[in-house]
Order: sequence, then structure tokens, then C-alpha cells
Amino acid sequence: MTHGADNPLEHPEVQLANGRSYLLVYLFSCALLGAATWLVTRQAMTPIGLFLLTTALAGVVVVAQGVFLLHMEFSETQRWHTVSLVLFIPLFILTIGLSAWMFHGLYRRTMLMPEMPAPAAAAPAAAGMPSMPAMPGMQR
Amino acid sequence: MLVNLQGPWSPLLGRLAVSQIPYENPILVGTFVLVVALGMAILGAVTYYGKWGYLWREWLTTVDHKKIGIMYILVGLVMLLRGFVDAAMIRSQQAMAVGPDSAGYLGALHGYLTPFHFGQIYTAHGVIMILFAATPILVGIMNIIVPLQVGARDMAYPYLNAVGLWLTTAGAALVMTALFIGDFAHAGWFGNLPLNELPYSPGVGVDYWIWAFQLSSVGTTLGGINLIATIVKMRAPGMTWMRLPMFTWASLSANIISLTSFPVLTVSLALLSLDRYLGTHFYTAGMGGNLMLYNDLFWIWGHPEVYFVILPAFGMLSEIIPVFSEKTLFGYTGMVLASFGIAGVSWGVWLHHFFTMGSAPDVNAFYSVSTMLVGIPTGVKVFNWLFTMYRGRLRFELPMIWACAALFFLLVGGMTGMMNAFTTNDYMVHNSVFVVAHFHLMLLLIVYAIFGAVNFWFPKVFGFKLNERWGKWFFWLFTAGTATVFIPMFTLGFMGMTRRLDYIPYAQWQPLLDAEMAGIVLYSLSAVYLVAQLYVSLRDRALNRVGADAWGTSRSLEWATPSPVPFYNFAYIPHVNARDEWAWRKENGIAQLRHDRYEGIHMPKNTGVPLVLGALSLVLAFALVWRMWWLAALCLAGIVILVIMRSFAKDTDYIVSPEEVKRVEDALWAGTHARGTEAEGGRGRGAVGGGLSPAHSPSAPK
Repeated sequence: MTHGADNPLEHPEVQLANGRSYLLVYLFSCALLGAATWLVTRQAMTPIGLFLLTTALAGVVVVAQGVFLLHMEFSETQRWHTVSLVLFIPLFILTIGLSAWMFHGLYRRTMLMPEMPAPAAAAPAAAGMPSMPAMPGMQR
Repeated sequence: MLVNLQGPWSPLLGRLAVSQIPYENPILVGTFVLVVALGMAILGAVTYYGKWGYLWREWLTTVDHKKIGIMYILVGLVMLLRGFVDAAMIRSQQAMAVGPDSAGYLGALHGYLTPFHFGQIYTAHGVIMILFAATPILVGIMNIIVPLQVGARDMAYPYLNAVGLWLTTAGAALVMTALFIGDFAHAGWFGNLPLNELPYSPGVGVDYWIWAFQLSSVGTTLGGINLIATIVKMRAPGMTWMRLPMFTWASLSANIISLTSFPVLTVSLALLSLDRYLGTHFYTAGMGGNLMLYNDLFWIWGHPEVYFVILPAFGMLSEIIPVFSEKTLFGYTGMVLASFGIAGVSWGVWLHHFFTMGSAPDVNAFYSVSTMLVGIPTGVKVFNWLFTMYRGRLRFELPMIWACAALFFLLVGGMTGMMNAFTTNDYMVHNSVFVVAHFHLMLLLIVYAIFGAVNFWFPKVFGFKLNERWGKWFFWLFTAGTATVFIPMFTLGFMGMTRRLDYIPYAQWQPLLDAEMAGIVLYSLSAVYLVAQLYVSLRDRALNRVGADAWGTSRSLEWATPSPVPFYNFAYIPHVNARDEWAWRKENGIAQLRHDRYEGIHMPKNTGVPLVLGALSLVLAFALVWRMWWLAALCLAGIVILVIMRSFAKDTDYIVSPEEVKRVEDALWAGTHARGTEAEGGRGRGAVGGGLSPAHSPSAPK
């Protein structure tokens, strides 16, 4: 047991929990994401404008959730929340980034990709072998 | 049903039917009879000696980190035995089923195991040895030692600790259930996709495998959270980061890996469950699925898991070697950095498990280089251990000989690992028994470190040493078994033998397979000596009692506690003055100082909730395996309600009165600390015998 911390409700981490702020930031997130969805479905702006606006709205939501739900702050006792998130970022980049890189090369070698343009001309079949029709994305 | 199930299904029993009990298989029937007889004997003995109350109060409901650690290790040892029996069956089948003229028994064309049964055995062997033997034993040792090393009275979350134990135990029980009801997965311990998909594995084997994995994964993640919180938040005053014992550093790095990687396993298996239960297509070969995604996700967890099990083993070596070299650990800072270097690199190497899948050459080259990078911090560690021994006063007692042999296996396993890191070489030996021999030697390095650690810390936990003579016999037979199994296995790998063969077509491989069989016989013999060592040690425990400092030259904080450790660990939270606190206290002559008065100690209360949660999880998993939806829903509801009820429980802790603390401390000082003084005078070397009160059993302080 930790030293002299009898009542869990007195822990600073537990004290940070606040039902009202949780509810407010939830409604705020819903409103902003709903607005973004509405703008996109109505095609209210040019594609590039929509892209920038929805990205900005998503950024605001992420920051709001980070601050109010995940308690990202820089006070001496609570900055470990922020440190945890920052330490998580390299792992995220490493796993997602390296996986994406691997699959990018892998698909070109092993998967038949219908969306890739077909080669201009199929390579001639080897002598004595039945010719095989060129398939989209096939590497000759 | 959203998927097409082969065979009948009923709302009440799901897929369960009498025909799922393998009563026609003599091997399983024999095992069942043995298990029932053994179970009856144990339950009968507990009833006969009237120990049910003791068992419930002191063990099943405990939240004491030491007892939870001991139970983790016991679960691990039982599963180690099961995994070893699987290994013996694999070896004997491969020794029997060689060449077209080899005889067949029990319905098998060659040997005595049919291909489907053989597939289940090697799958079970891998799953059990990694997840239910090595992991629980390591978690158990971390559980016991880390709070003692950081100067805490328990883990940060004692209740969560018990939940983790019972979830892991539920996973192990589920694997054992698969022996007698239904069958187990046959697609390899890491699961070959799309073989694991429902159309190709229509039975319940893969479902058993999924839920056993999931239970243990949740248990280990909870344990990881607990250990990290304990190390970060529960260190005693003065225990600064750079004074932390090396095993605690290793535990911290290992549990950071587990906390960050186990969720990936949970997700990868959850997606497979969605495929098998709801008919989605995450990993199918068609319909937009991608079976290679499974390999990628599984090994994103799988390779960090390798370091999760190896880093604590490195930590154990770092504790044992200085004590038996009678020197401080060489290159402490380098060791800390190397631990985190290994942990960091472990996140960028996973693709080397499937170099042959067809990634682009530059991708393979990246992972090849990153894999070789692991050799740098590991090399730093090896040199630091060697420099610790250099010009040390070496004593080859049991923990030390296990540690030295572990270094040897690290060398052989590590060098063959470097060979596999070369993509070109890996294309030659991929899926051959060369790779199998390589990773077995790496895992054996962990086993050697574990046996070293068990011999090393056993006196701290139980108050007496393990017998040295029988222990050395066990060591040498085990080592002979290792050499005799794995040298021929490396050779066969180079000769082209692939892994998981239930029939070997080449008769010229027979001599090497026979040699491997001889190695298994040596292993079996060594197990007899292990049992003998435990029996003799227990029988003669009065002769081998030790004081606080069991080895005479111990260095870190855990050796400042009496042996066995009282349930509150420290009568006063210690103030730490140096990196090797116990060595510092001995050098400054304050090791034997004792307090003249005591204060009340705040401790957590025992609770049966974790045990019930574990039992409900086991039934939940069983119901999901057999698709008994009503039972699964019932258990899930039970778990949720129990967790909510527990969160409102107020009566979870108590104060140990100063009088009680004084009574326990007086008893301990009268016994063990007196012997501890002798030990220091005699510099260890068995000088720690002496008379002791028979009442001073491990449970006496309670």
C-alpha cells in the first residue's frame, strides 16, 4: 500500500475527474464533429477548403479531449500524463509507419491490385509454356 | 449464427456434445485418469489435514505480493511440466516416424501420433512454454522481488495483482481443459493464417487458443501496469533512479514493453475472433481480407514479447553475478542504458520473423540491420558481466553456475540469431529446425537464469537454502540434455529438416533424431533430480536455515529484510543511502541496527473477489469457445457487477498494531538476524546453518 493514502478519493489523479467537464467536452466534441460531417455532406466548400477545415476541427477536438479527458497538463504533479502521451508517439509512428512501408512493397510483389494500371504490353510467354493473360498490376 | 458452423449447435450446450470427449484416445484417457488421481490425492490431503481454511485465508484470497508471486511460479511450474511432456511426445514421434518402413501405432501411419494430434501437441508446447510457463515464472519472481528491492510493503495495486494472477491461471486452466473436452489448435503457437480461419479449422481448437491467449494477455498487461506503478511511485526515500537495483531496472524496461505491446496482441486476436464468430474478413484470403496483416500485427507484439521475457532474465544475471564475484556490478549506468536500448530496439525488428513473406529488399534490409543492432546493447551487458567477474572472488554456488551457463547459451543463441538476422541466410534456414534450435537456446538462457534466480532468492522467501548436491546433479543432467537435444537439431536444420514434421521421409536423419531422443531422456532424468532437490531441501530445511543475508555477500535492499520476509516486508520503510544499500550498511556497520519501538502498519485486506473474477473469466472463455451464448452473457454480467460492487467496497485495508509488529520482529530477530551475523563473519559459504526454532516457518509471522 502506498504511504498514508488511505482514501482513494483524495488522490490528486482521482480529484481531477470531473463529471461536468467530461460531459461538456463530450458534447463539444460531438458538436464539432457533427459540424464537420454536415459541412462535408453538404459539400459546403471546395475540396481543399473542406480538407483544411475538417482537419482544423479535428485538431481542436483532439486538443480539447487531450486537456479535459486525458488531463494533459504541465504542472509538476500531473505532467506525467503529457509525458506518457509524448512517449507513446514514437511507438505509434514506428509501428504504423513501418507496417505501411512494408505493405507498400509487399502489395507490389504479392497482391494483384485492380486499381493499378495494367502494363502497356504483356511480356511474351516463355517458349513452350501456355501464354497467360496479363492481369492488372501483375509484375512481369 | 453469422457464420456457417460445421456440426450441430444447440441453444443450451452450444457446440458441446458427448462426442467431443476424446474417450477413444488411449493417451488422453490415460492422462485424464492420472490427472483425476492426482487431483483427488491433493484434494483428499487438504481435507484430511483440515487445511481448507488455511488455503482460503492464506493463499486463495491473499493480496500479498510474495504469496501471489509464489502462486505464479507454481502455475508456471505445473505448465512447464505439461509443456515438457508435449516436447517429449514431439521428440519421440520424430524418432519413431522415420522412413517409409517405420511402424505405426494407435491409428497413426507412422509413429504413434496422427498428424492432427501432432499439430495440437506442437502448438500447445509453444503456447504453454512461452505464455504459461516462462511468463508466469518471470512475473512471479518480479512480483516477489521488485517491491522488496524498491523498499515497498506491497505492490502499488495489491488487489489488481491478485486479479492478474487469477486471470493467468484461468488461461492456463483453459489450455488444460482443451486436453479433455474438444481439441486444441493445430496451426502453430503463433497461428498460421488462413489456416486459423473457420473454414480451415472448423473445430473449437483455435477458439481455445484465442481465449487462452486473451486471458493471459489481459493478466500480463494488468501485471505490467502494477509493476511500473510500483517502481515509479513506491520507491523508498533515498531510492533515487540511479540507486535502483539492476533487476528492478530490467523489470521496468520489460514491463514498459509488455504494457505497450500486449494491447496489439489483444487487437490482432480480437480481429481473428470477429472473423471466426461474426464472419468478418480481416484475415481471409479473399473478400478484401489480408492474411499478411495478421503476421504483421502478431509479431508487432511477438518480438517485444521476446524481450519481455529476456530482460528480466538479464536482470537476474545482473543480481547473481556480483554477489558471487564479491564485487559491485561493473558499468551500472551502461547496464541501465543497455536495458532500455534493447527495449527500444525491440519495437523495430518484428519483420525478421517473416523475411520470406515477400517484402521489398530495402524493407528486409532495414529490419536486418535493426535486428543486428540488438547485439550492441546485449554485447555491452555480456562484457559488463565478464568485467564484474574479472578479478572477482568467484564462488561457484548453485545460482552462479546457472548464471554462467546462461551466459554460454546467450553466446550460442545470440550468434545463431545474428546468422538469422542476415536475410540471405534466413531464406536458407527459414522454417527449418535450425531456427527452432536457435530460439530454444535463447529461451533456455531464460530458463537457466530462472533456475539461478530461484536458487538465489529461495532462501529470502522461504528462509532456507536449496540442497546444493542434488541441485548440481540437476544442473549437469539438464545441461547434458540441452546439448544432446540441440546440437543435433542445429545440424538437422542445416541438412534441410523443416519444423513441425510428424513424419520424416529421410532414413539417414535417424541417428541425429535418436540423439535428440537421448537428450530428452537426460532431461527427464534431470527432472527427477529437481524433484529430489526440492524434497531433500524441504526435509532438511532445519539444517539449512539462513539469516537475512543468505549468501553472506549479498548487496541489494531485499537482503536487509529477515528471511523469510514478514508479510509487511519492512517494519519501517527503509531510508536508502547507496546503490548497493545492504552492502553499504554492512560496510558502515549498521546492518544489525534495530528499532526500539514500532508504529502501526497500513496493509491491504485479503479478498476473494479476484479468485471469483478468475473463475468467471474461465467459464466465460469456455462458453465462448463452445458458443454457449447464454452462459457467456451470464458470466460477463457477473464480472461487470462484481467489478462495480468491489469499486464501492470501503473495508479494504487495516492497520497492523505496533504490538503485533514488535512480536513478529522479536521472533525474527531472535532467529534469523542472529544467523545473519554469523553469515557475514563467515562470508557465506554454508556458514549460515545453526539452530532455529521449528515454529519459525514461512507462515509463522502471519
